Amino acid sequence: MHAVRNIRLCTKDCLCLYVCPTGATDTETGQIDAETCINGCRLCVDACPSHAISLVPEVFPAQQETSVDVKKALNLLSESKTRQELTAFALAQESDDPLMKQMAQAIGMSNRIMAEDLLREAGFMLPQSDSVKELLHAISAENKENDFPNETVNKLIQLLNNNHEEKTMSKTTDNLMEAFAGESQANRKYLAFAKKAEQEGHLNAAKLFKAASDAETIHALKHFEVAGKIGSTIENLKSGVEGETHEYKEMYPPFVEQAEAEGNKAAVRTFTFAMKAEEVHAGLYQEAMDNLDSQEEVFYYLCPVCGNIEKFVPEKCSICGVPGEKFIKY
Amino acid sequence: MKKYVCSICGYIYDESSGYPEGDISPGTVWADVPSSFVCPLCGASKSEFEEQDSPQTASASESSNLPDDISYSAAQLSAIFSNLAKGSEKQYKPEMSALYTELANYYNLKSEKVNNPDFLSLRNLLQTDISSHFALANEVARKNHDRGALRALKWVEAVSRMISSHLKKAESGSADFLKETNVYVCDICGFIYVGDEKPEICPVCKVPGFKMTQVRRSA
Repeated sequence: MHAVRNIRLCTKDCLCLYVCPTGATDTETGQIDAETCINGCRLCVDACPSHAISLVPEVFPAQQETSVDVKKALNLLSESKTRQELTAFALAQESDDPLMKQMAQAIGMSNRIMAEDLLREAGFMLPQSDSVKELLHAISAENKENDFPNETVNKLIQLLNNNHEEKTMSKTTDNLMEAFAGESQANRKYLAFAKKAEQEGHLNAAKLFKAASDAETIHALKHFEVAGKIGSTIENLKSGVEGETHEYKEMYPPFVEQAEAEGNKAAVRTFTFAMKAEEVHAGLYQEAMDNLDSQEEVFYYLCPVCGNIEKFVPEKCSICGVPGEKFIKY
Repeated sequence: MKKYVCSICGYIYDESSGYPEGDISPGTVWADVPSSFVCPLCGASKSEFEEQDSPQTASASESSNLPDDISYSAAQLSAIFSNLAKGSEKQYKPEMSALYTELANYYNLKSEKVNNPDFLSLRNLLQTDISSHFALANEVARKNHDRGALRALKWVEAVSRMISSHLKKAESGSADFLKETNVYVCDICGFIYVGDEKPEICPVCKVPGFKMTQVRRSA
């Protein structure tokens, strides 16, 4: 989805220029440059104080089915409205009286808009819908007249097919993301199993689990890459902020509450640690975004118990209380 | 005290509050409201008002039946394509929009020409819509729980009734009621508004007034 600007609402406060990572918003045409706009970035959408920018979807869902009877009833009406349109415009042309002419003109315009609305609801709402595609094929097959704009119809059919390909691709994208989730889980699961096998002294089994865990990582990374989910570092940091923020704000709080209600103390603990750590992560990602171009080297220290990350070695972890010396340096 | 509803835009005249802005003092019963009164929102005549909660006088479908199959005239195809052009424009797809406009123009040229047009045949077509097409279409849309169709029918019926009222005023063959004022057509629902200035919002579909187009009078 790329960003578009509603010129009528734009008050030229220019905050979109300050936040756009690629300069796509800074054009002389009034519109945002779709070519350089980063898919789904929405920094300008959120920054615009007059809500003049939105993201326009590239692919639209299939249209809802309209029942045949509704189509027939609306067809009856729209036929009548187009007849009135033609009559009114003919009257506007022929009438000598300027006032009657003006009224007939208005009635003609009005009837066209009503006919459009009725036909829209009769199954022709979305320009890319299957029903429109069928109609284009039908008029192209039926029409034998010399002046029929074949080229226009063919170009349209081609444009609509492209949209269809995007749609089938997006199903594969969904599958890739589902496979990515499964493989990622398998990776962590086998790592947990390997740890357990080590504790039990089954070293061969531990080795196998580790190798398999790495294999799943290879699969997961490839799926993720093919799905096109790896952007530039600034985009990835933004995605990091969004993911972590979702987790600490929306996902974990109800989980903690539920675990408390069920009296599952271990779950309360692991959820709470994760929730607090994710909040820290979101802040760090944001900071890294802001300082992406800084040359100064930064070190991060990871708490091996709760997943907290600090930029210095604390006396003890601010989330779980583990002594600072346990922290791992990155 | 009773209330009367504008059948076109839904404005309510409440006898107990009157309409002081139009010099109709609170407590004025409907019968005493002058016949020159027009709806303050949409400009409909007094005769377009109905008593609130009065039993629906709308005729049960005097029944035209559903056609056996669906075919589209050139004029209908033109309207389908001009609307798809608008839809493409709203998706910021100028190329697609231009192609649909070409098709709309082609079918406009292919539309049946109306020879010897007259206002009477226009009124008759409109009368058939009002007396039977709407009742039938509403019934079918309700039965099929088609929310979108019901919405369109509500707007189109209001717009149609207003046109009918304009045509009635011009029955004598002159449209003097337009003389000292302006005419606007709503780009979204087609409502024809007669007034000195564009209304703030369209009385029927509620779109902001800037989405209404002024119809100029040729010299």
